[in-house]
Amino acid sequence: MSKTAVTRITHSCHLIEIGGRTFLTDPWFSTRPGYYQGEPIAVAIPDLPKLDGVLISHEHYDHCDLDAFAAYRDRSVPLFVAETVVSTARRHGFTNVTALAPWEQAEVGGVSITAAPGKHGVYEVTFVLRAGSDAVYFAGDTMLIPELADIPKRLGHISLALLPTNGLHIRPANNMQVVMNADEAAELTAILKPELAIPHHYTFTKGFLGDRLITHSDKNPLHFQDASRTLAPETSVRIVEPGIRIEL
Amino acid sequence: MSTTKTYSVAVDGAGPAEVSVAEYGAGQPFLLLHGGAGPQSVAGFAEKFAATHQVRVLVPTHPGFGGTARPESVGTIPALAALYQGLLDQLDLADVTVIGNSLGGWIAAEIALLESARVSGIVLIDAVGIEVPGHPVADFFTLTMDEVFARSFHDPDQFRIDPATLPPAAQAIAAGNRAAIATYAGSGMTDPALVGRLGTLEIPTLVLWGESDGMVDVDYGRAYAAAIPMAQFQLLPDTGHSPQLETPDQVITAIWDSANTDFSAFTR
Repeated sequence: MSKTAVTRITHSCHLIEIGGRTFLTDPWFSTRPGYYQGEPIAVAIPDLPKLDGVLISHEHYDHCDLDAFAAYRDRSVPLFVAETVVSTARRHGFTNVTALAPWEQAEVGGVSITAAPGKHGVYEVTFVLRAGSDAVYFAGDTMLIPELADIPKRLGHISLALLPTNGLHIRPANNMQVVMNADEAAELTAILKPELAIPHHYTFTKGFLGDRLITHSDKNPLHFQDASRTLAPETSVRIVEPGIRIEL
Repeated sequence: MSTTKTYSVAVDGAGPAEVSVAEYGAGQPFLLLHGGAGPQSVAGFAEKFAATHQVRVLVPTHPGFGGTARPESVGTIPALAALYQGLLDQLDLADVTVIGNSLGGWIAAEIALLESARVSGIVLIDAVGIEVPGHPVADFFTLTMDEVFARSFHDPDQFRIDPATLPPAAQAIAAGNRAAIATYAGSGMTDPALVGRLGTLEIPTLVLWGESDGMVDVDYGRAYAAAIPMAQFQLLPDTGHSPQLETPDQVITAIWDSANTDFSAFTR
Protein backbone atom coordinates (compact mmCIF):
# COMPACT_ATOMS: atom_id res chain seq x y z
CA MET A 1 0.00 0.00 0.00
CA SER A 2 1.25 3.49 -0.83
CA LYS A 3 2.60 5.51 2.05
CA THR A 4 1.02 8.60 3.46
CA ALA A 5 3.48 11.46 3.00
CA VAL A 6 3.70 15.22 3.03
CA THR A 7 5.99 17.54 1.10
CA ARG A 8 5.92 21.12 2.29
CA ILE A 9 6.10 23.42 -0.76
CA THR A 10 6.08 26.69 1.18
CA HIS A 11 4.10 28.42 3.96
CA SER A 12 0.81 26.42 4.18
CA CYS A 13 1.12 24.97 0.70
CA HIS A 14 1.76 21.20 0.88
CA LEU A 15 1.55 18.15 -1.29
CA ILE A 16 -0.22 15.41 0.65
CA GLU A 17 -0.01 11.83 -0.60
CA ILE A 18 -2.63 9.59 0.94
CA GLY A 19 -4.45 6.46 -0.27
CA GLY A 20 -2.46 6.56 -3.50
CA ARG A 21 -3.81 10.05 -4.30
CA THR A 22 -2.09 13.42 -4.24
CA PHE A 23 -3.60 16.63 -2.90
CA LEU A 24 -2.36 20.21 -2.85
CA THR A 25 -3.25 22.57 0.00
CA ASP A 26 -3.58 26.37 0.00
CA PRO A 27 -1.65 27.20 -3.20
CA TRP A 28 0.84 30.08 -2.98
CA PHE A 29 3.32 30.36 -5.81
CA SER A 30 4.11 34.06 -6.26
CA THR A 31 5.00 37.17 -4.23
CA ARG A 32 3.48 40.63 -3.96
CA PRO A 33 4.61 43.79 -2.19
CA GLY A 34 4.26 43.05 1.52
CA TYR A 35 3.58 39.30 1.10
CA TYR A 36 6.63 37.07 1.27
CA GLN A 37 6.98 33.37 2.06
CA GLY A 38 10.21 33.98 3.96
CA GLU A 39 11.38 30.59 2.65
CA PRO A 40 11.77 29.00 -0.78
CA ILE A 41 8.88 27.85 -2.96
CA ALA A 42 10.13 24.29 -3.37
CA VAL A 43 8.00 23.25 -6.35
CA ALA A 44 7.05 25.44 -9.30
CA ILE A 45 3.61 25.05 -10.87
CA PRO A 46 4.87 23.26 -14.04
CA ASP A 47 6.69 20.77 -11.80
CA LEU A 48 3.66 19.81 -9.72
CA PRO A 49 2.67 16.15 -9.99
CA LYS A 50 -0.76 15.19 -11.26
CA LEU A 51 -3.13 16.35 -8.55
CA ASP A 52 -6.23 14.45 -7.50
CA GLY A 53 -7.58 17.38 -5.53
CA VAL A 54 -6.81 20.85 -4.17
CA LEU A 55 -7.91 22.10 -0.74
CA ILE A 56 -8.30 25.84 -0.12
CA SER A 57 -9.08 27.05 3.39
CA HIS A 58 -9.94 30.71 2.64
CA GLU A 59 -9.47 33.44 0.09
CA HIS A 60 -6.43 35.31 1.42
CA TYR A 61 -3.71 35.69 -1.21
CA ASP A 62 -1.11 33.67 0.73
CA HIS A 63 -3.51 30.69 0.80
CA CYS A 64 -5.44 31.11 -2.43
CA ASP A 65 -3.05 32.35 -5.11
CA LEU A 66 -5.30 31.45 -8.00
CA ASP A 67 -3.76 34.14 -10.25
CA ALA A 68 -0.65 31.96 -10.26
CA PHE A 69 -2.23 28.54 -9.78
CA ALA A 70 -4.50 29.07 -12.82
CA ALA A 71 -1.38 28.14 -14.80
CA TYR A 72 -1.71 24.54 -13.54
CA ARG A 73 -2.06 22.24 -16.53
CA ASP A 74 -5.54 20.91 -15.69
CA ARG A 75 -8.18 23.32 -14.49
CA SER A 76 -10.68 20.49 -14.21
CA VAL A 77 -8.78 19.28 -11.14
CA PRO A 78 -11.28 18.95 -8.26
CA LEU A 79 -11.11 21.91 -5.87
CA PHE A 80 -12.54 21.54 -2.34
CA VAL A 81 -12.84 24.98 -0.85
CA ALA A 82 -14.40 27.30 1.69
CA GLU A 83 -17.60 28.62 0.16
CA THR A 84 -16.07 32.13 -0.06
CA VAL A 85 -13.54 30.79 -2.58
CA VAL A 86 -16.03 29.29 -5.04
CA SER A 87 -16.70 32.31 -7.24
CA THR A 88 -13.07 33.38 -7.54
CA ALA A 89 -12.05 29.79 -8.36
CA ARG A 90 -14.62 29.60 -11.14
CA ARG A 91 -13.58 33.03 -12.38
CA HIS A 92 -10.04 31.65 -12.72
CA GLY A 93 -11.31 28.89 -14.98
CA PHE A 94 -11.51 26.01 -12.52
CA THR A 95 -14.49 23.91 -13.56
CA ASN A 96 -14.80 21.37 -10.74
CA VAL A 97 -15.23 23.41 -7.56
CA THR A 98 -16.97 22.07 -4.47
CA ALA A 99 -17.66 24.17 -1.37
CA LEU A 100 -17.43 22.23 1.88
CA ALA A 101 -18.89 23.63 5.09
CA PRO A 102 -17.66 22.26 8.42
CA TRP A 103 -18.29 18.50 8.74
CA GLU A 104 -19.39 18.17 5.11
CA GLN A 105 -17.61 15.43 3.24
CA ALA A 106 -16.56 14.56 -0.30
CA GLU A 107 -14.62 11.66 -1.74
CA VAL A 108 -11.94 11.31 -4.39
CA GLY A 109 -10.66 7.89 -5.41
CA GLY A 110 -11.18 6.30 -2.02
CA VAL A 111 -9.91 9.30 -0.02
CA SER A 112 -12.50 11.14 2.07
CA ILE A 113 -12.19 14.90 2.38
CA THR A 114 -14.00 16.42 5.34
CA ALA A 115 -14.11 20.09 6.13
CA ALA A 116 -13.61 21.04 9.76
CA PRO A 117 -14.25 24.37 11.47
CA GLY A 118 -11.80 27.24 11.47
CA LYS A 119 -11.61 30.82 12.64
CA HIS A 120 -9.51 33.58 11.12
CA GLY A 121 -9.89 37.22 10.07
CA VAL A 122 -12.24 35.94 7.36
CA TYR A 123 -14.39 32.80 7.02
CA GLU A 124 -12.17 29.73 6.96
CA VAL A 125 -12.49 25.96 6.99
CA THR A 126 -9.84 23.36 7.74
CA PHE A 127 -9.70 19.83 6.32
CA VAL A 128 -9.21 16.19 7.23
CA LEU A 129 -8.13 13.72 4.53
CA ARG A 130 -8.65 10.05 5.36
CA ALA A 131 -7.77 6.79 3.62
CA GLY A 132 -8.13 3.68 5.75
CA SER A 133 -6.47 4.14 9.11
CA ASP A 134 -4.39 7.15 7.99
CA ALA A 135 -5.75 10.67 8.38
CA VAL A 136 -4.09 14.04 7.77
CA TYR A 137 -5.42 17.22 9.37
CA PHE A 138 -4.64 20.46 7.50
CA ALA A 139 -5.27 23.48 9.72
CA GLY A 140 -4.70 26.33 7.23
CA ASP A 141 -4.09 29.35 9.43
CA THR A 142 -6.92 28.98 11.90
CA MET A 143 -7.09 30.15 15.46
CA LEU A 144 -7.49 27.51 18.15
CA ILE A 145 -11.23 27.27 18.76
CA PRO A 146 -13.17 24.83 20.97
CA GLU A 147 -14.89 23.24 17.95
CA LEU A 148 -11.56 21.75 16.85
CA ALA A 149 -11.76 19.40 19.84
CA ASP A 150 -14.62 17.68 18.00
CA ILE A 151 -12.34 16.53 15.18
CA PRO A 152 -11.17 13.26 16.78
CA LYS A 153 -14.65 12.65 18.22
CA ARG A 154 -16.34 13.01 14.83
CA LEU A 155 -13.64 11.95 12.40
CA GLY A 156 -11.53 9.49 14.36
CA HIS A 157 -7.82 9.28 14.94
CA ILE A 158 -5.57 11.80 13.22
CA SER A 159 -2.18 10.43 12.13
CA LEU A 160 -0.53 13.62 10.94
CA ALA A 161 -1.35 17.26 11.74
CA LEU A 162 -0.18 20.26 9.71
CA LEU A 163 -0.55 23.24 12.02
CA PRO A 164 0.10 27.00 11.86
CA THR A 165 2.20 28.30 14.73
CA ASN A 166 3.02 31.99 14.21
CA GLY A 167 0.22 33.54 16.28
CA LEU A 168 -0.15 36.30 13.70
CA HIS A 169 -1.46 39.58 15.10
CA ILE A 170 -2.74 42.51 13.01
CA ARG A 171 -1.42 45.68 14.61
CA PRO A 172 -3.85 48.23 13.07
CA ALA A 173 -6.82 46.03 14.12
CA ASN A 174 -6.20 46.57 17.83
CA ASN A 175 -3.43 43.96 17.58
CA MET A 176 -6.06 41.29 16.95
CA GLN A 177 -4.75 37.71 16.88
CA VAL A 178 -5.86 35.82 13.75
CA VAL A 179 -3.73 32.64 13.78
CA MET A 180 -2.99 30.17 16.58
CA ASN A 181 0.35 30.55 18.30
CA ALA A 182 2.93 27.91 19.22
CA ASP A 183 1.39 27.13 22.61
CA GLU A 184 -2.10 26.89 21.13
CA ALA A 185 -0.84 24.64 18.33
CA ALA A 186 0.72 22.39 20.97
CA GLU A 187 -2.59 22.41 22.85
CA LEU A 188 -4.37 21.31 19.66
CA THR A 189 -1.71 18.64 19.14
CA ALA A 190 -2.54 17.30 22.60
CA ILE A 191 -6.21 17.14 21.59
CA LEU A 192 -5.63 15.51 18.19
CA LYS A 193 -2.89 13.14 19.43
CA PRO A 194 -1.32 12.55 16.00
CA GLU A 195 1.80 10.44 15.63
CA LEU A 196 3.42 13.33 13.77
CA ALA A 197 2.89 17.10 13.74
CA ILE A 198 4.52 19.46 11.26
CA PRO A 199 4.36 23.24 11.81
CA HIS A 200 3.74 25.60 8.92
CA HIS A 201 2.88 29.29 8.38
CA TYR A 202 5.77 30.62 10.49
CA THR A 203 8.34 32.17 8.14
CA PHE A 204 5.77 34.48 6.51
CA THR A 205 6.86 38.11 6.50
CA LYS A 206 5.37 41.37 5.33
CA GLY A 207 8.89 42.70 4.91
CA PHE A 208 10.97 45.09 7.01
CA LEU A 209 8.31 47.75 7.37
CA GLY A 210 5.20 45.54 7.23
CA ASP A 211 6.43 43.43 10.15
CA ARG A 212 6.68 46.66 12.12
CA LEU A 213 3.53 48.46 10.99
CA ILE A 214 1.01 45.77 10.04
CA THR A 215 1.76 42.33 11.48
CA HIS A 216 3.41 40.78 14.49
CA SER A 217 4.28 37.08 14.46
CA ASP A 218 6.48 34.37 15.92
CA LYS A 219 8.84 33.15 13.20
CA ASN A 220 10.52 30.44 15.31
CA PRO A 221 8.95 26.96 14.92
CA LEU A 222 11.09 25.66 17.79
CA HIS A 223 8.61 27.33 20.14
CA PHE A 224 5.98 24.87 18.90
CA GLN A 225 8.35 21.94 19.22
CA ASP A 226 9.22 22.96 22.78
CA ALA A 227 5.60 23.49 23.79
CA SER A 228 4.59 20.14 22.28
CA ARG A 229 7.24 18.33 24.31
CA THR A 230 5.38 19.46 27.40
CA LEU A 231 1.77 19.34 26.24
CA ALA A 232 1.82 16.49 23.71
CA PRO A 233 4.89 14.38 24.52
CA GLU A 234 3.66 11.37 22.55
CA THR A 235 3.56 13.29 19.28
CA SER A 236 6.71 13.63 17.25
CA VAL A 237 7.18 17.19 15.95
CA ARG A 238 9.28 17.67 12.84
CA ILE A 239 10.28 21.03 11.47
CA VAL A 240 10.40 20.49 7.73
CA GLU A 241 12.20 22.62 5.18
CA PRO A 242 10.34 23.22 1.90
CA GLY A 243 10.91 20.44 -0.60
CA ILE A 244 11.53 17.66 1.94
CA ARG A 245 9.13 14.69 1.70
CA ILE A 246 8.16 13.20 5.02
CA GLU A 247 6.55 9.77 5.18
CA LEU A 248 4.27 8.86 8.00
CA MET B 1 31.91 55.80 4.20
CA SER B 2 30.32 55.20 0.82
CA THR B 3 31.14 53.93 -2.62
CA THR B 4 29.63 55.49 -5.72
CA LYS B 5 28.92 53.60 -8.92
CA THR B 6 27.24 54.58 -12.16
CA TYR B 7 24.69 52.09 -13.42
CA SER B 8 23.30 51.88 -16.92
CA VAL B 9 19.64 51.01 -16.43
CA ALA B 10 17.25 49.94 -19.17
CA VAL B 11 14.29 52.30 -19.60
CA ASP B 12 11.14 51.06 -21.27
CA GLY B 13 10.78 52.43 -24.78
CA ALA B 14 14.14 54.21 -24.76
CA GLY B 15 17.84 53.49 -24.52
CA PRO B 16 19.51 52.87 -21.18
CA ALA B 17 19.85 55.76 -18.72
CA GLU B 18 22.87 56.28 -16.51
CA VAL B 19 22.33 56.84 -12.84
CA SER B 20 24.92 57.53 -10.16
CA VAL B 21 24.30 55.62 -6.92
CA ALA B 22 26.13 56.13 -3.62
CA GLU B 23 26.02 53.07 -1.42
CA TYR B 24 26.43 52.93 2.34
CA GLY B 25 26.80 49.83 4.53
CA ALA B 26 25.59 46.25 4.04
CA GLY B 27 22.52 44.29 5.09
CA GLN B 28 18.77 44.96 4.89
CA PRO B 29 18.33 47.14 1.76
CA PHE B 30 16.90 50.67 1.65
CA LEU B 31 16.55 52.92 -1.39
CA LEU B 32 16.82 56.53 -0.20
CA LEU B 33 15.51 59.20 -2.58
CA HIS B 34 16.51 62.84 -2.20
CA GLY B 35 14.30 65.83 -2.80
CA GLY B 36 14.96 69.11 -4.59
CA ALA B 37 17.80 69.91 -2.20
CA GLY B 38 19.87 67.22 -3.93
CA PRO B 39 21.73 64.10 -2.80
CA GLN B 40 23.71 65.90 -0.11
CA SER B 41 20.44 66.45 1.77
CA VAL B 42 20.24 62.71 2.48
CA ALA B 43 23.92 61.64 2.45
CA GLY B 44 24.57 62.23 6.17
CA PHE B 45 21.40 60.41 7.11
CA ALA B 46 22.33 57.46 4.87
CA GLU B 47 25.74 57.16 6.47
CA LYS B 48 24.32 57.39 9.99
CA PHE B 49 21.50 54.91 9.30
CA ALA B 50 23.87 52.35 7.74
CA ALA B 51 26.30 52.64 10.65
CA THR B 52 23.65 52.56 13.38
CA HIS B 53 21.74 49.50 12.20
CA GLN B 54 24.06 47.64 9.82
CA VAL B 55 21.80 48.22 6.83
CA ARG B 56 22.51 48.87 3.15
CA VAL B 57 21.40 52.28 1.93
CA LEU B 58 21.43 53.10 -1.78
CA VAL B 59 21.26 56.79 -2.66
CA PRO B 60 20.80 57.52 -6.36
CA THR B 61 21.28 61.01 -7.72
CA HIS B 62 18.23 61.75 -9.85
CA PRO B 63 19.56 62.41 -13.37
CA GLY B 64 20.00 66.16 -13.79
CA PHE B 65 20.80 66.77 -10.11
CA GLY B 66 24.29 67.17 -8.69
CA GLY B 67 25.78 68.08 -12.06
CA THR B 68 24.74 64.77 -13.69
CA ALA B 69 23.26 64.50 -17.16
CA ARG B 70 19.55 63.88 -17.63
CA PRO B 71 18.59 61.80 -20.67
CA GLU B 72 15.54 62.96 -22.62
CA SER B 73 13.77 59.70 -21.78
CA VAL B 74 13.75 60.51 -18.06
CA GLY B 75 11.77 63.70 -17.55
CA THR B 76 8.87 62.89 -15.23
CA ILE B 77 8.37 61.50 -11.75
CA PRO B 78 6.85 58.23 -13.11
CA ALA B 79 9.86 57.90 -15.41
CA LEU B 80 12.18 58.22 -12.40
CA ALA B 81 10.10 55.59 -10.60
CA ALA B 82 10.45 53.21 -13.55
CA LEU B 83 14.18 53.93 -13.67
CA TYR B 84 14.61 52.97 -10.01
CA GLN B 85 12.47 49.89 -10.35
CA GLY B 86 14.80 48.90 -13.18
CA LEU B 87 17.77 49.56 -10.89
CA LEU B 88 16.31 47.29 -8.18
CA ASP B 89 15.74 44.58 -10.81
CA GLN B 90 19.29 44.95 -12.06
CA LEU B 91 20.68 44.67 -8.52
CA ASP B 92 18.28 41.76 -7.83
CA LEU B 93 17.26 43.21 -4.47
CA ALA B 94 14.38 41.93 -2.34
CA ASP B 95 12.46 43.32 0.64
CA VAL B 96 13.50 46.89 -0.20
CA THR B 97 12.09 49.79 1.82
CA VAL B 98 11.99 52.96 -0.27
CA ILE B 99 12.45 56.15 1.73
CA GLY B 100 11.88 59.50 0.05
CA ASN B 101 11.97 63.10 1.19
CA SER B 102 9.93 65.83 -0.53
CA LEU B 103 10.23 65.19 -4.28
CA GLY B 104 11.83 61.84 -3.37
CA GLY B 105 8.69 60.92 -1.45
CA TRP B 106 6.64 61.52 -4.58
CA ILE B 107 8.97 59.19 -6.49
CA ALA B 108 8.62 56.60 -3.69
CA ALA B 109 4.82 56.76 -4.00
CA GLU B 110 5.08 56.24 -7.77
CA ILE B 111 7.44 53.29 -7.22
CA ALA B 112 4.88 51.74 -4.86
CA LEU B 113 2.23 52.10 -7.57
CA LEU B 114 4.37 49.95 -9.89
CA GLU B 115 3.72 47.08 -7.43
CA SER B 116 7.12 45.46 -7.73
CA ALA B 117 7.38 42.55 -5.30
CA ARG B 118 10.93 43.74 -4.61
CA VAL B 119 9.56 46.76 -2.75
CA SER B 120 8.05 45.80 0.60
CA GLY B 121 7.40 49.22 2.12
CA ILE B 122 7.67 52.98 1.67
CA VAL B 123 8.54 55.79 4.04
CA LEU B 124 7.35 59.22 2.90
CA ILE B 125 9.10 62.08 4.66
CA ASP B 126 7.44 65.46 4.04
CA ALA B 127 6.57 64.24 0.55
CA VAL B 128 5.06 66.32 -2.24
CA GLY B 129 3.03 65.10 -5.23
CA ILE B 130 -0.63 65.14 -4.20
CA GLU B 131 -3.05 68.04 -4.37
CA VAL B 132 -4.72 68.93 -1.09
CA PRO B 133 -7.33 71.71 -1.36
CA GLY B 134 -6.37 74.65 0.87
CA HIS B 135 -2.89 73.26 1.49
CA PRO B 136 -0.73 74.09 -1.54
CA VAL B 137 2.91 73.13 -1.75
CA ALA B 138 4.94 76.34 -1.35
CA ASP B 139 6.13 77.58 -4.74
CA PHE B 140 9.86 77.07 -4.53
CA PHE B 141 10.42 79.07 -7.72
CA THR B 142 8.91 82.31 -6.41
CA LEU B 143 10.58 82.21 -3.00
CA THR B 144 13.93 83.80 -2.21
CA MET B 145 16.55 81.38 -0.91
CA ASP B 146 16.20 83.10 2.47
CA GLU B 147 12.49 82.29 2.44
CA VAL B 148 13.20 78.70 1.36
CA PHE B 149 15.52 78.21 4.34
CA ALA B 150 13.04 79.84 6.72
CA ARG B 151 10.24 77.55 5.54
CA SER B 152 12.36 74.41 5.34
CA PHE B 153 13.89 74.23 8.80
CA HIS B 154 12.75 74.40 12.39
CA ASP B 155 16.05 76.15 13.13
CA PRO B 156 17.11 77.66 9.79
CA ASP B 157 20.19 79.49 11.06
CA GLN B 158 22.14 76.22 11.28
CA PHE B 159 21.62 75.59 7.59
CA ARG B 160 21.36 79.01 5.93
CA ILE B 161 23.88 79.76 3.21
CA ASP B 162 24.20 82.66 0.81
CA PRO B 163 24.13 81.16 -2.70
CA ALA B 164 26.00 84.18 -4.03
CA THR B 165 29.05 83.14 -1.98
CA LEU B 166 29.21 79.66 -3.53
CA PRO B 167 32.03 78.91 -5.99
CA PRO B 168 30.97 78.93 -9.65
CA ALA B 169 30.92 75.13 -9.93
CA ALA B 170 28.56 74.84 -6.99
CA GLN B 171 26.37 77.61 -8.41
CA ALA B 172 26.17 75.68 -11.70
CA ILE B 173 25.08 72.55 -9.83
CA ALA B 174 22.44 74.55 -7.93
CA ALA B 175 21.13 75.94 -11.22
CA GLY B 176 21.04 72.41 -12.65
CA ASN B 177 19.13 71.16 -9.62
CA ARG B 178 16.62 73.97 -10.04
CA ALA B 179 16.12 73.09 -13.70
CA ALA B 180 15.72 69.42 -12.80
CA ILE B 181 13.04 70.22 -10.22
CA ALA B 182 11.15 72.23 -12.82
CA THR B 183 11.41 69.39 -15.34
CA TYR B 184 10.32 66.62 -13.01
CA ALA B 185 7.78 68.37 -10.80
CA GLY B 186 6.83 71.71 -12.37
CA SER B 187 6.16 74.68 -10.12
CA GLY B 188 3.07 73.11 -8.52
CA MET B 189 4.93 69.94 -7.48
CA THR B 190 1.72 67.94 -7.75
CA ASP B 191 -0.08 65.45 -9.95
CA PRO B 192 -3.84 66.00 -9.56
CA ALA B 193 -4.52 62.31 -10.25
CA LEU B 194 -2.02 60.96 -7.72
CA VAL B 195 -4.17 61.13 -4.61
CA GLY B 196 -6.83 58.95 -6.23
CA ARG B 197 -4.33 56.43 -7.51
CA LEU B 198 -2.82 56.01 -4.05
CA GLY B 199 -6.09 54.48 -2.85
CA THR B 200 -5.19 51.24 -4.61
CA LEU B 201 -1.97 50.71 -2.65
CA GLU B 202 -1.64 47.74 -0.32
CA ILE B 203 1.97 48.36 0.64
CA PRO B 204 3.06 49.05 4.24
CA THR B 205 3.53 52.82 4.43
CA LEU B 206 4.95 55.14 7.07
CA VAL B 207 4.38 58.88 6.62
CA LEU B 208 6.73 61.07 8.69
CA TRP B 209 6.22 64.82 8.88
CA GLY B 210 8.26 67.63 10.41
CA GLU B 211 6.02 69.72 12.64
CA SER B 212 7.76 72.91 11.49
CA ASP B 213 7.54 72.20 7.75
CA GLY B 214 6.67 75.49 6.05
CA MET B 215 6.98 74.12 2.51
CA VAL B 216 4.29 71.45 2.87
CA ASP B 217 2.17 71.77 5.99
CA VAL B 218 1.21 69.10 8.50
CA ASP B 219 -2.40 68.80 7.30
CA TYR B 220 -1.05 68.04 3.84
CA GLY B 221 0.96 65.23 5.44
CA ARG B 222 -2.10 63.86 7.20
CA ALA B 223 -3.98 63.95 3.88
CA TYR B 224 -1.12 62.02 2.26
CA ALA B 225 -1.37 59.29 4.91
CA ALA B 226 -5.17 59.26 4.66
CA ALA B 227 -4.93 58.66 0.90
CA ILE B 228 -2.97 55.40 1.35
CA PRO B 229 -4.84 52.47 2.93
CA MET B 230 -3.28 51.34 6.23
CA ALA B 231 -0.62 54.10 6.12
CA GLN B 232 0.60 55.27 9.53
CA PHE B 233 1.31 58.94 10.20
CA GLN B 234 3.83 60.26 12.69
CA LEU B 235 4.53 63.91 13.48
CA LEU B 236 8.16 64.73 14.26
CA PRO B 237 8.74 67.67 16.64
CA ASP B 238 11.40 70.36 16.30
CA THR B 239 12.10 69.66 12.65
CA GLY B 240 11.02 70.98 9.27
CA HIS B 241 10.77 69.93 5.63
CA SER B 242 13.91 67.76 5.68
CA PRO B 243 13.87 65.90 9.01
CA GLN B 244 16.54 63.47 7.83
CA LEU B 245 18.87 66.46 7.50
CA GLU B 246 17.81 68.49 10.53
CA THR B 247 17.13 65.67 13.02
CA PRO B 248 18.48 62.41 11.54
CA ASP B 249 18.46 60.47 14.81
CA GLN B 250 14.76 61.14 15.20
CA VAL B 251 14.05 59.79 11.72
CA ILE B 252 16.16 56.67 12.25
CA THR B 253 14.28 55.95 15.47
CA ALA B 254 10.90 56.61 13.83
CA ILE B 255 11.65 54.02 11.14
CA TRP B 256 13.54 51.40 13.11
CA ASP B 257 11.31 51.43 16.17
CA SER B 258 8.04 51.98 14.32
CA ALA B 259 6.64 48.75 15.81
CA ASN B 260 6.65 50.52 19.17
CA THR B 261 5.06 53.78 18.02
CA ASP B 262 1.60 54.71 19.27
CA PHE B 263 0.33 56.17 16.02
CA SER B 264 -3.00 57.07 17.61
CA ALA B 265 -1.13 59.87 19.38
CA PHE B 266 -0.73 61.62 16.02
CA THR B 267 -4.34 61.45 14.86
CA ARG B 268 -6.68 64.38 15.41
